[in-house]
Amino acid sequence: MMTRLVSSLLGRLGLLLAVALLLVWSLGPVYWSFVTSITPPLDLFGDPSFWPKHPTLQHYAKLFGATSLSQGNAVQSVWPQFSAALLNSIITATGATIVTVVVAAAGAYAFVRLRFPGRDICFYLVVATLAIPAYTVMIPLYRLMISLHLIDTYAGIVLIYVSAFLPLALWLMRSVYQAMPISLEEAAWLDGAGRVYTLVFIVLPLAAPGLIASAILTFLNAWGQFMVPLVFSPTLATKPLTVLLPEFVTRNYVDYGLMNAAGIFAIVPPVLIVLFLNRYLVSGLMAGATK
Amino acid sequence: MTRSTFKADEMALAAVFVVPILVIMGGLVFYPLAVSTVDSFYRVDPMRPDTPFVGFANYARLLTDSSVQASWFNTLSYVAFAVVLETVGGLGAALLLNRIRHGRRWLLAVTVLPWCLPPVVNAIVWMWIFNPSYGLLNKVLIGLGLIAHNKVWFNDQATALFLISLVHVWRMMPLTAVILLAALQSIPGDLYEAARLDGAGPVKCFRLVTLPLIAGGLAIALSQSTVFAFNLFDEAWILAGSSLDTRSVIIQVYLTAFQSMRLSSGMALSILAMIGSLVVSLIYVLKVYRETRFD
Repeated sequence: MMTRLVSSLLGRLGLLLAVALLLVWSLGPVYWSFVTSITPPLDLFGDPSFWPKHPTLQHYAKLFGATSLSQGNAVQSVWPQFSAALLNSIITATGATIVTVVVAAAGAYAFVRLRFPGRDICFYLVVATLAIPAYTVMIPLYRLMISLHLIDTYAGIVLIYVSAFLPLALWLMRSVYQAMPISLEEAAWLDGAGRVYTLVFIVLPLAAPGLIASAILTFLNAWGQFMVPLVFSPTLATKPLTVLLPEFVTRNYVDYGLMNAAGIFAIVPPVLIVLFLNRYLVSGLMAGATK
Repeated sequence: MTRSTFKADEMALAAVFVVPILVIMGGLVFYPLAVSTVDSFYRVDPMRPDTPFVGFANYARLLTDSSVQASWFNTLSYVAFAVVLETVGGLGAALLLNRIRHGRRWLLAVTVLPWCLPPVVNAIVWMWIFNPSYGLLNKVLIGLGLIAHNKVWFNDQATALFLISLVHVWRMMPLTAVILLAALQSIPGDLYEAARLDGAGPVKCFRLVTLPLIAGGLAIALSQSTVFAFNLFDEAWILAGSSLDTRSVIIQVYLTAFQSMRLSSGMALSILAMIGSLVVSLIYVLKVYRETRFD
């Protein structure tokens, strides 16, 4: 009796330890980045502490300020660059998400419900491109984009993102439609509703969880992209945060407080998604990876 | 199905829905892929006139180029570190999540978080942790008495490769965990019941019930880890730039094509990298499928 109690207690303790380990591993670096972003510059060189002794918002002020001080000297504000890059990140990631989800929602419906020659071949060809890494097509794509005058334009970046993330969204949406009973649509057709009307007003509302999951995956992928904009967004006309942030390292001396403050900004959208939409995110990941 | 069974209005709608996909994927993936393949047999270099056919010369030069060889070694190291750590860690996390009853949804959300963050930001966050003078890693290890004084982590190639892999693992392990958790949840509970009645302990249960039944998920997770580690770029580029000690094959492609402007050489290397990543992941899938068929 006693030994069973002890072993169950030990088991519970082990489980708690494992949970704590997982929490520290996943959240620790993010938390540390946040602590760094509110620690005064000089304290960064002292002993690490769980919470800064004199929390400050000066790194954030530096991001937003018109001018800023760095080691006692007034330096040029980073706000013009930072705000432009933030806007670029928002525009390209949102644009790519909208186009991808709309095209995938319509396309996957055609691949599931409409009959046309070459349907399955088309679908499998598109999905097979998931196995083609981006860099294999990047060099010819670079020359193609130059000849189309799409380098450093929102349209060019969004198109490349769509071509990269569409296969996964199509894959997800097709499995969503396949799981839906066709009887609902047939009932609507009998009532005289057209195909498009049925798709928009009956099928899509039911497919909402799938649409949200596809949107989340596309947005996160686009938001975190680095190599594509590194090549295709040479100037602040379209340069996103992910490309601007590392430039903070090389241009000035390495200002870790500023970098972490900017980094915290860049992780706000993903963190919000994890907080409020984690159900859809996880189901999308599972469906995308296992089917 | 004969051609006459396709209805005209259905075909028209399908054309509206599918043609945009074919245009985007054809123009931005299949066409460039074909160009990459063909041009890798020519000399395409904006600095030099003409684009003569050179056969396998680009490929042959890649085999003898010492930077390329170094980058293959680095990439294979990343793959080895990442696959092992992600599989072990991901399996551990999945088993834990599968046992948790209360608050599983939130623990899962926390587990998935690193995957959601931009890799560049992850790399910057870890770069500060690895900082030789003020980084958390040195301070924690000194505090624990494991090292005597600050270490410059990226001075040693093996350590640098391991730490870059670690940042990559931090981001990609959630994917392995999620895939394996999905596989674990599809195992019917009465199988464990039966195994326990037959006197199997937890370890035997795991080996005889869990492992064979998650083999499919494991194969997917392994090939995902491999492909992503094979394509590692962001973490190594942010943490160590073009350093030859940590340069991955993809960084080598980027440098060859976009900094040296030797386009055809870059394309040849990118084709080799694609084939490499496809073959390695195919091996896992085939191996796991073969092994589970006998069980």
